[in-house]
Amino acid sequence: MPQAAPNTEKLDEHLQEVVRALRGAVKQGVSHSNDAKTVDNAIEDCREILDVIMAGNVSEWLN
Amino acid sequence: MFTDKIELKDFDKMDPEYKELLGRVLTIQADCEIGGPHLYIEKMLPAAPTKLDQLIVARTAAEEIDHFRKVARLAGDMGTDVTFVLSQPNEKRFVDAFRGLITTWEDNAVFGFLIDRIGRYQLEEFYDCSYLPLQRILPDIVTEELGHIEYGYNKTLELLSKGDQQRERVQKAIDYWYVRALDMFGRSGSTRAERYRYWGLKRRSNEQAREDYIKEVNPILESMGLKIPDPLKGRRYI
Repeated sequence: MPQAAPNTEKLDEHLQEVVRALRGAVKQGVSHSNDAKTVDNAIEDCREILDVIMAGNVSEWLN
Repeated sequence: MFTDKIELKDFDKMDPEYKELLGRVLTIQADCEIGGPHLYIEKMLPAAPTKLDQLIVARTAAEEIDHFRKVARLAGDMGTDVTFVLSQPNEKRFVDAFRGLITTWEDNAVFGFLIDRIGRYQLEEFYDCSYLPLQRILPDIVTEELGHIEYGYNKTLELLSKGDQQRERVQKAIDYWYVRALDMFGRSGSTRAERYRYWGLKRRSNEQAREDYIKEVNPILESMGLKIPDPLKGRRYI
């Protein structure tokens, strides 16, 4: 078997969590589309999560 | 032509050229997956026309991040670290189309319609490829890309129904992204593309895939009442 790159498994697990949280926030917003406050909160949650991913500080995520 | 099917356990025994090409194609794929959200999240998440569209922008980004994760896992297991693409500036992306920022809703819609379709084309190259772990992640990713294409198409149609001024803005976006889409297939007659085919990592030549794309997209553009841009104007890779 080849030697895996450092943090392969850790990054995979972290991103799985990120994607799960994002999907959860989107689902919350879409399923409560008549409740403006819930929708706004869901969008804000997505923005916060995505800001962290777009910043790309991988070493911070994994520590 | 190489016709064997390879598992991760076989990877170390493979020819160095195979390892290099597989590592390269996975790195570029990972860069393109995360390159999408880097193009549109900053401006489009807050500026999408409705709250539902904002949520769909976020969902699209979540799916692209998940595609990145799957490709990064394959590459990482082989010893190829692709994490650098998570933090590299857009100007350094492997593919020209991802070097910039999407700032208008027309561009966002057309990007989904035309560029996510290229994503589907690139993934279809790996169907029945020689590296089995890559084959296994394809169905779910392609299904999600089809959703992005359909959303982009529907949003483009919606914009076209809003009058002549809006139609002009959509046509401008089509003119911009169409040539970038054609360039994404790479140079015709590429020797590297031939090596990918030799090793069973891709199915078509660059020019064949580009031709298939044109045959698929041009009739759709015409059916929407849009002009087909000059396929050579502004192209970098002919």
